[in-house]
Amino acid sequence: MESVFNHVTPHIGFIYPNESDMAWTQLIVIYPYITGLVAGAFVVSSLHHVFRIQRFAAVSRFALLTALCFMFFAPSPLLFHLGQPTRAFNAVITPHWTSAMAAFGYVAGFYVCLLILETWFAFRADIVAMSKTRTGIMGKVYGWLTLGSDDVSPHALAIDHKIARILAMIGIPSACGLHGYVGFVFGSLKTREWWSSDLMPVIFLLSAVGSGVGLLIVLYVIVSKFRKTAIADDTMRGLLYVLFTAITVVMVIEGLELLEIFYKAREGVETVRELIMGPIWAGMAIQWAMSIFVLVATSTMLVYDVHGKRLVTWLFLSGLAMMIGVLAMRWNVVIGGQELSKTMKGLLTYYPEMFGRESLFVVGIISICPYITLWLATKLLPPWETASLPSRT
Amino acid sequence: MSVPKHIVRLLALIAVVAVVVFSVKKFLVPDSFYQYGHYRGNAVAEIASKAPKLQGSASCQSCHKEAYAVWTSGIHRKATKDNKVQGVVVKYGPGCEVCHTGPAGNHPSKEPMPLSVEDRVTSITHLEHKVHPANVPGRNLMLDPESMRGVCLNCHDKLEARPVVQRQVAVDSHSGKELCTTCHNPHSPRIDNFAALPRPAVDPNTGKAISAVEKFKTGDASAGKSAAAVCAACHGNAGVSVNPIWPNLAGQHAVYLTNALKAFKSGARKNDMMSGIAAGLSEADISNVAAYFAKASCRVTGGDKAKIEAGKTKAAAAGCAACHNAGGLRGTGAAGISASPAWPNLAGQNADYLASALKSFKDDSRNHAVMSSVAKSLSDSDIDNLSAYYASVSCK
Amino acid sequence: MTTLDENAKQEASGMTRRGFLGFLGKSAACVGAIAGASSTIGATELVHGKRGFQQNDEQFAEAVNNPPKVPDYNWNDHEWAMGVDTDRCIGCLRCMEACKMENSVQMDAFHFRTWVERYVYLEGSNTAVVDSQSDPKNIENAGSETKFRFDNRYRNVKVDKAFFVPKLCNQCEHPSCVQVCPTGATFKANDGPVLIDTTYCIGCQYCVQACPYGARTFNESRGTVDKCNWCYHRITKGLNPACVEVCPTGTRIFGDRKDPESPISLFIRNNHVQVLKPEMGNAPNVFYKGTDKEVV
Repeated sequence: MESVFNHVTPHIGFIYPNESDMAWTQLIVIYPYITGLVAGAFVVSSLHHVFRIQRFAAVSRFALLTALCFMFFAPSPLLFHLGQPTRAFNAVITPHWTSAMAAFGYVAGFYVCLLILETWFAFRADIVAMSKTRTGIMGKVYGWLTLGSDDVSPHALAIDHKIARILAMIGIPSACGLHGYVGFVFGSLKTREWWSSDLMPVIFLLSAVGSGVGLLIVLYVIVSKFRKTAIADDTMRGLLYVLFTAITVVMVIEGLELLEIFYKAREGVETVRELIMGPIWAGMAIQWAMSIFVLVATSTMLVYDVHGKRLVTWLFLSGLAMMIGVLAMRWNVVIGGQELSKTMKGLLTYYPEMFGRESLFVVGIISICPYITLWLATKLLPPWETASLPSRT
Repeated sequence: MSVPKHIVRLLALIAVVAVVVFSVKKFLVPDSFYQYGHYRGNAVAEIASKAPKLQGSASCQSCHKEAYAVWTSGIHRKATKDNKVQGVVVKYGPGCEVCHTGPAGNHPSKEPMPLSVEDRVTSITHLEHKVHPANVPGRNLMLDPESMRGVCLNCHDKLEARPVVQRQVAVDSHSGKELCTTCHNPHSPRIDNFAALPRPAVDPNTGKAISAVEKFKTGDASAGKSAAAVCAACHGNAGVSVNPIWPNLAGQHAVYLTNALKAFKSGARKNDMMSGIAAGLSEADISNVAAYFAKASCRVTGGDKAKIEAGKTKAAAAGCAACHNAGGLRGTGAAGISASPAWPNLAGQNADYLASALKSFKDDSRNHAVMSSVAKSLSDSDIDNLSAYYASVSCK
Repeated sequence: MTTLDENAKQEASGMTRRGFLGFLGKSAACVGAIAGASSTIGATELVHGKRGFQQNDEQFAEAVNNPPKVPDYNWNDHEWAMGVDTDRCIGCLRCMEACKMENSVQMDAFHFRTWVERYVYLEGSNTAVVDSQSDPKNIENAGSETKFRFDNRYRNVKVDKAFFVPKLCNQCEHPSCVQVCPTGATFKANDGPVLIDTTYCIGCQYCVQACPYGARTFNESRGTVDKCNWCYHRITKGLNPACVEVCPTGTRIFGDRKDPESPISLFIRNNHVQVLKPEMGNAPNVFYKGTDKEVV
């Protein structure tokens, strides 16, 4: 008899028979996770480009590249998840605007264009310089990237800076919109008690910023170690402030959401409790343990005014913890929401596939791709060597 | 203030890309999109053009006239008396495709199609569930007995959630391992139209079919006469036993006789004398002998009048007529003549033999899903009376 | 359609021949006027009933004047609905099996266009124990994933009340599945059923998430979503949906609400009917009689 249930999600209580075949799987877990990293990285880059916060100057161009590389791969989990990936563009050709999902192609497309443009303007002087020094194929590539103009006069660069700043200003609401929108895709569904929440877009957005900052911290530390360059204390302090802000607000709002569910105690609240105690207890434990760790670590660093090596170590750990915690949170939302049956009388327990189209293996590949792309991108457009550029003030 | 060259080029590039994207989008939108709403208008007619598969009971009529006639006159045609629910006239009762699942739209075809086989044993292919007795040539459509019963129990198993108006049976106490079709005609299952069908021999202990159902072939009576010589010592030359403790065979249903001999031969039924004799008979001998005795003329033995009267009353109360009466439960036909050739006639049988048979059912030395439970409900005096009654009934 | 009905009524009331001819002329003019001014929604609404879900004026006019080319069928003449009399359901699951056959739904225990649930109140309990035919115990008891049967698990316990509830797509007036479909692959036809254009569906399964009733399922082999459409290919040919056709007890009632004497109109008129999860605001078109507080 066992074989019958192999391909089906085990459940307790009563679920609708069609629910045992879970619609959204781990691919949909990493989709908001990756877009979240984009949003976070972009915010850090904008803090320099828009607000001229100098302590972020060191990482701003790297943050921009990070955002771009991760954004390229944000739609790929969705493509792997579609039953008919070749028809994916139907949603763009005939977007049905009452659907939260129809806008994805446009929002993501717009955001990719914005990132490309901003990157181009931020790196244009370097591109022009390299088109003149490099030879061979790479020289040609840089030549094309200049669009045939080597105008790096102060006048042209000033215009570039102005445009880059405007784009960054547009980018902030776009990043927030992109990620708030991902939250809306879940939060606007009235059918799922675990998703249907007005706070969902805000939670998604703020945790996205947190995880993106975490990613930047982790990457910055690792890259600096490899390049054997000093880690700017000022920059780390700045990242600490952003991380602290993000984690406090995220924890408060997530706490509020749980409180609302249990305080309102609508029909099926016992099942929600069972969900937290049961199928997603591990996810919830990781999410909250990581969040508390980040909160405690960042607060302590602020209170004791930690600098130098200790700051690097603990901020690195906090960034990593933030990334893990947010990933767990994505799992708890996406999978947890479906583990709670629409009947509110039953619970499923999802076990991910290891191999196959929608499997952990594919998730692993998709998760690694942005890092490889980022490594290649830093080869093409080195974000660190700012010395050759004129001052950005 | 002049606009730098790279800005101009960039704007041009963006413009080109935008134009390309919009024209591609325009080109790719399907023709009838937005005709009636945000969808492909042609899709409606496409969906509607699919061919229906379920054809309704009427479509079965042209080929399966007999079964259709039985169904239309029976209770499965009309499950409620007034044919109405709350003033709404609704078609009722299971149609052909309810039990013979698998839509007629596929039929005739190679698809699993549930139909009766020619020997009129109900056979139903239940979705992918194809369990067939092996030796029904060219007709891999039959179910094993358990699944066959399952078809009836889909609707008639006693479940707590079923409305009480639905006819339901607790199958363990109702019929044990016996097949529903033993007593019920699936096309018209009310018991007074019971099934006059041959059926597979069923092992009473496991409920599994011992033999496949096959079309009954009447043997050669004249050939049977010589083979019957071995029987004559006990059952008389003409099938009238020399001792009332042994059954008369004259006028008995050939199918029943055949089944009995086969059961002795296979060991499903045991008797010191008969087991040995049946073992020595070939399949052909068995059917010939059965045919011979079935044609022989029977003889009625008399009995005590008081016992006969008491037996008649008891026979009505115990429901013997449901099977052992030509007219079924309502007792409208000849008493003691079983309507199914698979069941024994009782009319004119020796009273002593009938009594000993009932007693052996009662003390479990002989087993039968229906008879064992019936016999256990009878007292010794009931058995005497019933035996006397059936012994006195005309067997002509 | 309305004008023809009017004609019949007028004729029946003993109209003179000349008056009748005059009336014919008038109604012809009337039809012309409507065709001409079809964008004025008020006028068309009066004659032809309501607008489709998310349909603008021009699209509605097109739906009225140029309906889809289905032989011998005009979707403007119908408004389909279904009734379920749960007092009569015996849980035999013939509807479900017929549906799977008719619509080539995957033959397993996890994909359904229609199914049946069993609600049982054990003695003294205020909440129901619920299971469907896909419950592992039922599958185990039947011995096969495709041999759909309810087991007899309540044989030896005391039960206060118990009943079966057949479920299917509710073909809502405000279908949340259509609302969330990013491409327009699923839509509400003007005669009621919510259909899926399987040649246009991208298989994102957002609609599966959005359906409050669990009525949608994903067909992995086709890569598209599947759902009940009241056997649109049957009802447009004058047949009943498969589940209604095979129901042996008359639990399912189907018909046209535009015909006041159709089974469904009588069913709705003569019974106190409910819909499932009315708080969702979907306004279902499947009407239940005899359900219970526990039914979800």
